[in-house]
Amino acid sequence: MKHESPKTAHTSEVVVDVRACTKIYHQGEASIHAVDNVSLSVRRGEFTVLVGPSGSGKTTLLNLIGALDAPDKGTLAIEGRDLGALSRSQLALLRRDRIGFVFQAYNLIPVLSAAENTEFVLALQGQPPTKRRARALDVLKAVGLEGYQARRPNQLSGGQQQRVAIARAIAPSPAIVLADEPTANVDSETGERLLDLMEALNRNEHATFLFSTHDPRVVARAKRIITMKDGRVVADTTVPPDAHQGPPAPC
Amino acid sequence: MILTLAWRNVWRNSRRTLINVVSIALGVWLTVTSVGLADYSYRQMIDDSARMGLGHVTIQPIDYLDAPSLKKTIAETATRQESIAAHRQTRAAATRITGQAMFASASRSIGGSFLAIDPKQESRDINIFLRSLVEGEAFTNSEVRAVLVGEVLAKNLKLSVGRKLILTAVDRHGEVVSELFRVCGIFRTGVVEIDGRMAVIPIERARQMLHYAPDEATMISVFVDDYRNADVVRDLLATVIPRDAASVLTWRQTQPELASLSDVDRGMNYLFLFLLGLLIAAGVLNTSLMSVLERRHEFGIMMAIGTRPGQLSAMILIEAASMGFVGLLAGAILCVPWAYYLIAVGLDMSSVMGEDYTAANVLIDPIWHITLYPGRMFAIAAMLFTLTLIAALYPAFTAARARPIESLRDAA
Repeated sequence: MKHESPKTAHTSEVVVDVRACTKIYHQGEASIHAVDNVSLSVRRGEFTVLVGPSGSGKTTLLNLIGALDAPDKGTLAIEGRDLGALSRSQLALLRRDRIGFVFQAYNLIPVLSAAENTEFVLALQGQPPTKRRARALDVLKAVGLEGYQARRPNQLSGGQQQRVAIARAIAPSPAIVLADEPTANVDSETGERLLDLMEALNRNEHATFLFSTHDPRVVARAKRIITMKDGRVVADTTVPPDAHQGPPAPC
Repeated sequence: MILTLAWRNVWRNSRRTLINVVSIALGVWLTVTSVGLADYSYRQMIDDSARMGLGHVTIQPIDYLDAPSLKKTIAETATRQESIAAHRQTRAAATRITGQAMFASASRSIGGSFLAIDPKQESRDINIFLRSLVEGEAFTNSEVRAVLVGEVLAKNLKLSVGRKLILTAVDRHGEVVSELFRVCGIFRTGVVEIDGRMAVIPIERARQMLHYAPDEATMISVFVDDYRNADVVRDLLATVIPRDAASVLTWRQTQPELASLSDVDRGMNYLFLFLLGLLIAAGVLNTSLMSVLERRHEFGIMMAIGTRPGQLSAMILIEAASMGFVGLLAGAILCVPWAYYLIAVGLDMSSVMGEDYTAANVLIDPIWHITLYPGRMFAIAAMLFTLTLIAALYPAFTAARARPIESLRDAA
């Protein structure tokens, strides 16, 4: 699988390409268009948020982009690879190598330490233990968890767990990090810190982020805001750099 | 990493894992005990049966098995016995003559069998009658007119040590011949059919009585250290003994009743072990499946971040293998002192089965010991381990076939 360093990539490169995607859920005799004929693309280095009311299709769209679910209509490509043409195993490899996930509920593996959680994907990639551990420690340091590497998830606060989740997502240097309501389960101060962290990763490591959120603090930091309603994209706004007021705090 | 993860997962619900480990360990204990007891009893029965005359491998005249007769003999027994006894695959070999006879004392006559032996070739180790002497002494010269008689035969003929017995048989020419013997010892094997019908006489005296040549006999009994090697020794001896000179047969061929008994018993034993294995496997299946269903959301996360379905299956199989390995280890630890006790002391079952329980004309020792063959122990461990893995196949398949999005929604 092609694995290009983000630092050498062009920011104009399309990472995610969604074309006329529709996802329909059936509840009894009713059909719900969770995602309805959506087309959009995300370029490398973007810091994009999906906003909209509950049930507008944000999470479903993230799941489709994350190759966790398949659209009923339309096509979806990550770095030019059509997801519909890939087998289950190939999709797993794509998620492993090119997509990072940050979930609302952290979702760390409870029996692994912070360092082991962070290096888990690297281990799946078959990286040697020494190399992957060094990378995990680097990333944990980057997210402010130096010295916490041996702790298990139940020995960490919610914010710390979410930092580990972010570290796990960015450790393999994916093409895009998909974050579903990443600040929903943490207090406002921790939420601000997490956003500072992700913003810094976006800025310093050129990591591409796509969030779904209700949180106005996340929206305030976005470079691009995609608004969804009833499964459709109703607005797609690029925020001018000078309009951005988010504090560029280091992590 | 998958290995580490699997091992830690095993101990996430330590109580449930321990219940499984204990059930596997008890399964090992039961299986080892059952197989060990059975192997001991087979070995004892087959060895005792061999000591009663035929040995583990018998060299006898062609067609003797179908129609035994004192007219049928094998020649050159002396040189053959010596070379066979010296072979590294055999423990001992003894030239013997066996046949039907009429025993008469001053008071009455009884029909029975005699076994003629060369005391120089015999020992308590290969001859159950020498081992079972309860009165008098065995003869040490093969030409004396001495006889060992079974306890029941002695009682029925009202004989005691020093009294006379007349043995009448049909010689190699079909003539009725008689010889006077004096009782030098009385044996008790515990098998009434043997103790009431058997007498043991010196082989040279028998040869003279039956008009045999000096190295003629009806069989050479060959003994091996492990009865399971009888086939190997039979094949070996068959290559050195001309096919038209004699038949070389194993205990299975000379004593089909005993072979059938042990085969049927072994079959029942294996069936019991298989059912036991199924019970253990059901326990592992239950634990593994519960563990998989409880972790569906976690599996969803693992798949989302790139774990392939095969890796997920492998993790679950490794979890089952780890549990199986720990269970086998615990079982082995449990078995060591128990096996030591059974080998050294044994279980006294005489109150249940009495002192003279017999099967296929062989006395069964009421003190139960065990015999542990390394190969059999390895097979037990392999069987239980394999069943544990087989039991985890369905949970592993269940986890692998789940779609990530469905697993993520589960209990999210």
